[in-house]
Amino acid sequence: MSKKITFDYWQHLYSNRTENMFSSEIRDLLSLSARPDIISFAGGLPEVRALNFQKLERYIKRILKADGDISLQYGGSDGYYPLRTKLIEVMKLEGLDVVEEDIITTTGGQQALDLLAKVFINPGDTIIVESPAYTGALNSFSSYEAKIIEIPVDDNGIDISSLEERLKEQEKKKVQVKFIYLVPNFSNPSGRTLSLHRRKKILELAKKYRTIILEDNPYGMLRYEGKPLPTIKELDTKGDNQNVIYLSTLSKLFAPGFRIGWIVAPHPILEKIILGIQSTILCVSTFTQRIAYEYFSDPSWSENIDEFIKIYSKRRDVMLKTLEESFPEGSDWSKPKGGFFIWLKLPDYLNTKEILADAVRNKVAYVPGSGFYADDRGLSEARLAFCTENTERIEKGIKILSRIVKEKIKLYKSFK
Amino acid sequence: MKKNIAVLMGGRSLEREISIKSGQRVSNALKKLGHNVIKLDIDESIVDNLNSEKIDLAYIALHGKDGEDGTIQEILEVLNIPYTGPGVYPNILSFDKIISKQIFISLGIPTPPFYFLNASSFRELGSSKLLPFIVKKIGLPLVVKPSAQGSALGIKLVNKAEDLPDAIISALGYSKKVILEKFIDGIELAVSIIGKEKPKALPVVEIVPKKKFFDFESRSKIGETDYFVPARISSSLNEKVEEVAIAVHNSLKCTKLSRVDIMLDRKEKIPYVLELNTSPGMTDTSLLPMAAEEAGISFEELIDKIIKMSLSD
Repeated sequence: MSKKITFDYWQHLYSNRTENMFSSEIRDLLSLSARPDIISFAGGLPEVRALNFQKLERYIKRILKADGDISLQYGGSDGYYPLRTKLIEVMKLEGLDVVEEDIITTTGGQQALDLLAKVFINPGDTIIVESPAYTGALNSFSSYEAKIIEIPVDDNGIDISSLEERLKEQEKKKVQVKFIYLVPNFSNPSGRTLSLHRRKKILELAKKYRTIILEDNPYGMLRYEGKPLPTIKELDTKGDNQNVIYLSTLSKLFAPGFRIGWIVAPHPILEKIILGIQSTILCVSTFTQRIAYEYFSDPSWSENIDEFIKIYSKRRDVMLKTLEESFPEGSDWSKPKGGFFIWLKLPDYLNTKEILADAVRNKVAYVPGSGFYADDRGLSEARLAFCTENTERIEKGIKILSRIVKEKIKLYKSFK
Repeated sequence: MKKNIAVLMGGRSLEREISIKSGQRVSNALKKLGHNVIKLDIDESIVDNLNSEKIDLAYIALHGKDGEDGTIQEILEVLNIPYTGPGVYPNILSFDKIISKQIFISLGIPTPPFYFLNASSFRELGSSKLLPFIVKKIGLPLVVKPSAQGSALGIKLVNKAEDLPDAIISALGYSKKVILEKFIDGIELAVSIIGKEKPKALPVVEIVPKKKFFDFESRSKIGETDYFVPARISSSLNEKVEEVAIAVHNSLKCTKLSRVDIMLDRKEKIPYVLELNTSPGMTDTSLLPMAAEEAGISFEELIDKIIKMSLSD
């Protein structure tokens, strides 16, 4: 008697949201990019080797000696207070003026996104994101079953007229847009920065349509040229209601291994988020927050940022130069003034998901663009991270990619 | 008796991820069987690693390039280390689907009609002009696939002639030659063959993808495909399928282990052979362990069988 094979005996028990979690061809190909022989433009991995490990060792020893009993204990759900005082100093450098009570810490920026999704999204609720958008944000929002509206970005960031159009359309349908998510500075993945004019406009729109802006700013301090722009949060001074929730992370300013991020939000919202923290992790790691506090108490931390900026800007320059010198006509890319990423656009007929197999065989990896869209767009686009590899490998890798793209174009043209 | 067994996994192949899953599962089974397991990734230090310890047997849990094309087998031959699965020659024959299909044809083993084209022939010889002829000769839909790649990577079902270029360009990302093969509307079957002198077929597995086509996602995502064991076909057909699979195994000079993928034509009931795999997947959702279980052979017993067979080489 033939029988149907059941692999997973618990399949009938899973929640609907697990439907959105699966292994993809891309993930399998990218698992190869962890090998040292692969030049990886895939992950946005900060250059943690630039940190002073001896100093870190001293901090950790000091913490354990001075107050090991406290730093290894549970902490408050709103985060380690002294660290929050330091985060205020960090944010001041970006022009933000907040107090300790306006901040809570989270386990990395990713948990901040998850908590905000948890607090705001009911299944089927509508949210708006810049497009392409950070995959981690898209995954988090879709796991809470949000309906995602994508607004395209150009060189000046999110397109305001189509944003307004969509907000209007939703209002007409009596749909409340729960929030608008964007990374205004050197966005992941596009590398693009929202202009000052648009920052003001988007804030106006948020107020008009009584919605919130999630301003995710992990890269703001990693600017390699030009003058910093005010954060949207800083511009949000008119009226009683604040419409901006600001989030950031120490992953790029310090190290991702500590998993520390934070949220600045109006107090009623923070209250809800704290309840969310209590029901998931109770508190962010006291120990890593304590280490971060030590790190940001040492005035030399800003020298480290200068060091990061020196390293990354050189890498960006080499990647842009090699792209310029080697890539075929018909391709285009963003020219970020900071951050980690360059967004590559190839001729429409080329598919970056399919070119990836060829690239990986030739020992270069990147992330195909389609992963940064909620629908199936972005097929001829790709994200190139310039933060991870040294300049020689960047040059070599971009040249290999360019050769593959040229071969593909030639092959494609042979069908015309 | 306790043996030192090197499990070779990962590697440079595009199927690295699947290979690691296979390798982990095999390693766990070997440990439970009481063997000493040395897990080895395949990189520039593989020869040194294989040499640095006394290894009684290498378990090849690699898929695709290096693991199924004769490369690792040749290295092990040089080092005099016994290994699981077929030898160098059958790996070379089966890895290139064009060679193996030519062998099937020469022996009268049914395989879907096909043509193959080189990447360079498109660029330099204007082969794209052949496509209308191929469509006319074989008909649509066509299956477009790389000549050497496993796990259905780079394979596409093409219904319209205008979609052929995209599918060909995609397949050529995986290998230098592309196969355009007639799509057989049929029941997809996998026959695992095990044994040395007298290779035997394990119960035939029937694959029913929810999409029309058994692509990468259908293979890797639980719930995308239903499997039935034994296949829901008559016993006479089952016998015919097993016979063909064993003939395929023998035609490519395979020993010990292989898995033959067959499409059983729905109308004419002809078992068309698609390909043979020399290192079948060993993950939780792989076809060979599934077939073994139906035959009353647990995963550990299966691994034990494979080890014993390979040690007595």
